[in-house]
Amino acid sequence: MSSTSTHAEVTAADTAGRWPVLLLLASGLGWLVISGIFALIASIQLHSPTFMSACEWFTHGRVSALAETTFVYGWSANAGLGIALWVLGRLGGSTLRAQNWAVIGTLFWNLGITIGLGGIATGDATSFALLELPRYVQPLLVVAYIAIGISGILAWSGRRTEGTYASQWYAVAALFLFPWLLIAAQTMLLWSPVRGVLQPIIDGWYVQSVVSLWLAPLALAGAYYAVPKITGRALPSYEFAPLAFWTLLFVGMMTGGRHLIGGPVPAWIPTLANAACWMVLFHFTVVALNLRGALTGGGTSLTFISFGLLAYLAGAVLDAVTSFRGVALVTQFTYFTTAQQQLALYGAISMLLFGSIYFALPRLIGRPWISGSFVRSHRVLSMVGIFLLVGSLAVAGLIQGTELINAKSTFGEMAERTRPWLLAVSVAQVLLLIGNILVLVNFLRSVCGLWCSGVVSEVGSFRQPTTMEVHAS
Amino acid sequence: MMKNGFFFFIGLLAAFVLGWSSIPLLAHKQLGALTPFYDDGESSSFPTRPPGVAARGQLVYADLGCAACHTQQVRRPDFGSDKARGWGDRQSVARDYIFQVRPQLGESRIGPDLANWGGRKPPVDAAGIAQFLHSGVVSGSKAVSHPPFPFLFDDRPVVGEVAADALVGLVEKSSRRQIVPTERARTLIAYLQSLNNAYEYPEARHVAPAAAKEGAHK
Repeated sequence: MSSTSTHAEVTAADTAGRWPVLLLLASGLGWLVISGIFALIASIQLHSPTFMSACEWFTHGRVSALAETTFVYGWSANAGLGIALWVLGRLGGSTLRAQNWAVIGTLFWNLGITIGLGGIATGDATSFALLELPRYVQPLLVVAYIAIGISGILAWSGRRTEGTYASQWYAVAALFLFPWLLIAAQTMLLWSPVRGVLQPIIDGWYVQSVVSLWLAPLALAGAYYAVPKITGRALPSYEFAPLAFWTLLFVGMMTGGRHLIGGPVPAWIPTLANAACWMVLFHFTVVALNLRGALTGGGTSLTFISFGLLAYLAGAVLDAVTSFRGVALVTQFTYFTTAQQQLALYGAISMLLFGSIYFALPRLIGRPWISGSFVRSHRVLSMVGIFLLVGSLAVAGLIQGTELINAKSTFGEMAERTRPWLLAVSVAQVLLLIGNILVLVNFLRSVCGLWCSGVVSEVGSFRQPTTMEVHAS
Repeated sequence: MMKNGFFFFIGLLAAFVLGWSSIPLLAHKQLGALTPFYDDGESSSFPTRPPGVAARGQLVYADLGCAACHTQQVRRPDFGSDKARGWGDRQSVARDYIFQVRPQLGESRIGPDLANWGGRKPPVDAAGIAQFLHSGVVSGSKAVSHPPFPFLFDDRPVVGEVAADALVGLVEKSSRRQIVPTERARTLIAYLQSLNNAYEYPEARHVAPAAAKEGAHK
């Protein structure tokens, strides 16, 4: 880290606007741990189908829905919004406004998710992927999200700088687009449902849009902010960044139809998705060029961001390859698609968010992370966990795919051949869960320091940037 | 554009509107008004509406999350082994689903496809399905192949006669108890038995020109 980047390590805007952000980040990490427990139950059920199946609340379908919902709407949404508000506040150049709205919004958002999870467990789920939360909490989510978003939008519209930055575009896009997507999906699927296969078509569009137009922009907002700050260098090839941004926005949501290959839908939907998957690679190339500085830097944040960046790219290439009919013949309907989903949500988006959180927290609370060993353990556990998770799921998926093609193979044989890999998936879920408990504990203990010692040390550690980062070795 | 907040907002709006109209709206225009197919020869139209009990059973299927492991979409005969596995002689088409309240296409085949499960050969009767849902064991086999769902059944004392649909061989006669499917189990079973899209619509007929066969061979 160069000395020039340390002058404004902690600004008044950080101190005055930190509570909404800390609340969002803490809720996110809390949900992440809960989601890990659900994901572990679901993964055990894949190799031991009788596990907890006698309990109606935890059938495999319901517990998978619980895990997915908690992960996306609990962890990714809270953490992503926290990072987005922080970035917009900092780049806006003034203290975050409408903080009460953000806090109230966060409380109601999390209340909505809690009620919704109870609803899913007791059988009120909607049966649409990523839109499982029951109808009765859906309007609450829209209102709560808008309340949180107001803070960010005010920071954007009241910005004091002439130019704008890529992290601002991505954050503002995520803030605006998600409510539109959610309202459109709710209207067409829940309030005035369309007929027949239009439901899965629209749900597929929604799922892809949530990833491409909401979660990925939130994660990129943090990465685009943290990388130049940490490396102390301007982003290379930055002049292409606007084009990459608009490519993701305009083409990203058309890639969802690849899950419907060979299905009872008009053939142009998967064909369009195939073309879009390749077009959107332009976005990924530019992001890689812009953020390539992260790959050479050390430090905790950059390690997470590099991992996330590589997973983001690998995910895009895999999506493009599996959008061909000949490849989908094998990979469709298998654990391979689960592997791709986990690579995107966990490997890319979550790791980028972790990187941003590791960068943001010391600046928010005015002191470094309390435990360096927890940080290092979390880093190792998440990287090993994600490798194991995605790798084993992919291998299991390829085995399952080849068995499915062979009409003589039974589902019993398929379960037997995939079993070792599914056991590895459970191990990976355990590693990830431990890592996420560590980061949650570390986060809460670090934040508690604000009360325990009372005063935020404005000087001292702040002028020594090395103490703000827990280094790789 | 990146500096002017107004134009930036218009850009976001345009991206959303374009994405929304390119898939949801266009698909709706194409399929939203799909009608049943009237067959002059048979003097009736297809698909038929599922009986009310099956429609309710679909909601049980949905709330248990069965679609996490089972698809309900048959791929065409030269694309995968669906036909060879006896899941259906033709590919599923959009018309199959027009009367379904919540189509359960699914995206994972940890278990078999169920699109035509009610029409499978040899057929499984309601008692057999109930037995399977309760124990998770296919009759004649020992291994558990499906998670058992005992919560779909009532264990209750026999009052008067043993219920007609009580599961056999699970409790000793002397205990005067019986295991009976609940209302939800009965609707779910009726739903599974109703799953059968045998009618061959014009758009579902399999066309296998030489080129297509070559493609399948690759």
